[in-house]
Amino acid sequence: MREASRDRLKAFLTLLPSIILIGVFVYGFIGETIWTSLTDWGGSGALSLTPEKNFIGLANYVELFTGVLGGGFRQDLVNAVYYSVMLLVGAVGLGMFIAILLDQKPKGEDVLRTIFLYPMSLSFIVSGTIWRWLLAPQGGLNVLPKYAGMEPLDFQWLSSTAAILEFNWQNLFQILLYVAAFLLILTGLWLLKKDSGMAVKRWLVPGIAVGAGAWLFGDLLPEALFMEETHGFNLATMGIIMATVWQYSGYTMALYLAGFNGISQDLRDAAMLDGASEVGYYRHVAIPMLKPITISAVIILSHISLKMFDLIFAMTGPDNAETGHPALNMYLTTFRANNFAQGAAIAIVLFLVAAMFIVPYLVSQYRQRGRR
Amino acid sequence: MANVELKQVFKRYGDVEVVHGVDLEIMDSEFIVLVGPSGCGKSTVLRMVAGLEVISGGEIVIDGRVVNQVSPKDRNVAMVFQNYALYPHMSVRENMGFSLKMSKMSRDDIAAKVQEAAGILELEPYLDRKPSELSGGQRQRVAMGRAIVRKPDVFLFDEPLSNLDAQLRTQMRMELRKMHMRMNTTTIYVTHDQIEAMTLADRIVILKDGYIQQVGTPVEVYEKPANVFVARFIGNPPMNIFDGVVATVDGLRCVQLGETMFPLSEGKGDGLADGRPVIVGLRPDAIKMGDKLEKLPEKWHCTCEVVLSEILGGHSLLEVVVDGKHTMIAEVEGRILAHPGEIVPIGFEFDRMVLFDPETTNALL
Ligand SMILES: Nc1ncnc2c1ncn2[C@@H]1O[C@H](COP(=O)(O)OP(=O)(O)OP(=O)(O)O)[C@@H](O)[C@H]1O
Ligand SMILES: [Mg+2]
Repeated sequence: MREASRDRLKAFLTLLPSIILIGVFVYGFIGETIWTSLTDWGGSGALSLTPEKNFIGLANYVELFTGVLGGGFRQDLVNAVYYSVMLLVGAVGLGMFIAILLDQKPKGEDVLRTIFLYPMSLSFIVSGTIWRWLLAPQGGLNVLPKYAGMEPLDFQWLSSTAAILEFNWQNLFQILLYVAAFLLILTGLWLLKKDSGMAVKRWLVPGIAVGAGAWLFGDLLPEALFMEETHGFNLATMGIIMATVWQYSGYTMALYLAGFNGISQDLRDAAMLDGASEVGYYRHVAIPMLKPITISAVIILSHISLKMFDLIFAMTGPDNAETGHPALNMYLTTFRANNFAQGAAIAIVLFLVAAMFIVPYLVSQYRQRGRR
Repeated sequence: MANVELKQVFKRYGDVEVVHGVDLEIMDSEFIVLVGPSGCGKSTVLRMVAGLEVISGGEIVIDGRVVNQVSPKDRNVAMVFQNYALYPHMSVRENMGFSLKMSKMSRDDIAAKVQEAAGILELEPYLDRKPSELSGGQRQRVAMGRAIVRKPDVFLFDEPLSNLDAQLRTQMRMELRKMHMRMNTTTIYVTHDQIEAMTLADRIVILKDGYIQQVGTPVEVYEKPANVFVARFIGNPPMNIFDGVVATVDGLRCVQLGETMFPLSEGKGDGLADGRPVIVGLRPDAIKMGDKLEKLPEKWHCTCEVVLSEILGGHSLLEVVVDGKHTMIAEVEGRILAHPGEIVPIGFEFDRMVLFDPETTNALL
């Protein structure tokens, strides 16, 4: 008994320094930032030795989401959502595809693997600069068709102001409900094969109800903004998405390739004998088996995309409204405009969005461990 | 159901040839067991039949069709792997139904077939579990279930029982036998466990270094091994082997091992000249002791000195020395416990003695 408690004491003492450090420098500062975001610290005099800070509640958040001046932030948030989704689809899809090709054991697999993984080792500033050159209006990508004897492209990769998939921010609540309904119905359809009763009761019916409700009574929902304000997918962000996909698909490729290599040859043989084609093997056996890898890749990439700063900074600079990103906005608001409270509010919004990805993952991990 | 024919089948990996012209004809619904030491090419032969390895030379014919260029999924063969190779992310039900799903069978038909197979293998309570939630024996059954739902032309087994403990292995062996009697599917079964080989096989194929040594029924390979390798490989404990010389003593044909004489039974060794060196093989269970001695003719009796004796339940193993020189293992019925150094009477079933040529090591006669 005494032995055990001494062991505990030792363990506690060993962990203490890191508990203190993390407590102060991570959680302490998160708390400090939350507090700051609830004050009016900013404007002239913000940098004085004893700045004036008054508690103003959630006013900063209300301003960000519904205020006149928050329009830039709202576009940035929309950008971040599109950016994350595209990066996930692009990097996971492309990485998986390359991994499948390399899993066929072509000649020179080692060399190819290194080549594909190489962009990962570049700093974002370097790759951002390279891609800015490649995407320059008269350079790189746009002149490529010339080599095939065609007219050069004249697309303004990084400064186009065109946008697609636009929506009115006023209808935000309605749109969110549609998205929720869509996700519910999708899950329901997906589960239909496994347990149709549960799928209908728990997913399909609520999904249809939410969707129909949003459609019928959408007008009754409060408007998120007092005036019309459209946001959409800015085509200028495509270049940034391409650059990030280029940089990270090698990483997902490495993850998947390691996973594929870990699947025993017997399993592959068994699938072949069971009548699975090459495509069937990946679709029904290999990729479902690597679900943990897919989840990790999604978590990691969504974090990277939510925190993306340097690549955008290097590619389009801080002042290109079309390609803005909340992280960039946060930096500019805080350190260029000295609007500390508002910057803190942006940081906390980003933090909460990131938590939306990571918390369900952590919970499921703990549950799994509990089961074991 | 189908017959399988291997015609001069070769397998090379680069410059290394590992299977050298194997010829084998397997009849419809026959149970063939491939045995041989590790690395002799058993798995390679099996995988060539399955289509998982390219055939470097020769032809494999299944049901009258040359399958060299036919992909595994179109050969209608099912394989059970040593480590089961179950799909870890699928439930037992999905594992067993996977091949049917791939063949685009309707969901109801799949459910019915899986249910039927699960009934045969007593897997019904586990259908919704994942493989990781099953015991080794249950996984083994699922692997078998996955093979039988498809009603394939040929079953291929690669050491399917070697990951199980001894008791379960015996039990599964019997179930395999029953399953074969019920389904009558042509089966090729790889093992290095000779009890499995002896009990399951209609015919045993003994491989060594990529060459077939002998093909025969279990009794044939046990009693009439084609060469010294088979004699030693089949049977546990292995056959006793001695060097001797053919001779005629007092008008009786015999093999002389120094002063000891092993008489040749009627007609045996007629073609061999006196003075020809031979290798003599005698199964441990061709040696008799105790009350079983009485059944043997008096002239086949002598005495020996016991070195070691072990009782294995109903029978006993003894290491004995005859004439102070020739050490041999005897496997005798009943419990015979003799002290080391004790001199006891012993008898030999000399009609079961086999002779081999010392140069080629092939069986004589
Ligand atoms: N991919 C390969 N490349 C080169 N040689 C190989 C390859 N696969 C197998 N071999 C060789 O072929 C020979 C036969 O292998 P095989 O796996 O058929 O043996 P086995 O009889 O099944 O042995 P075990 O009882 O240990 O399973 C071995 O000598 C092995 O080294
Ligand atoms: Mg093998």
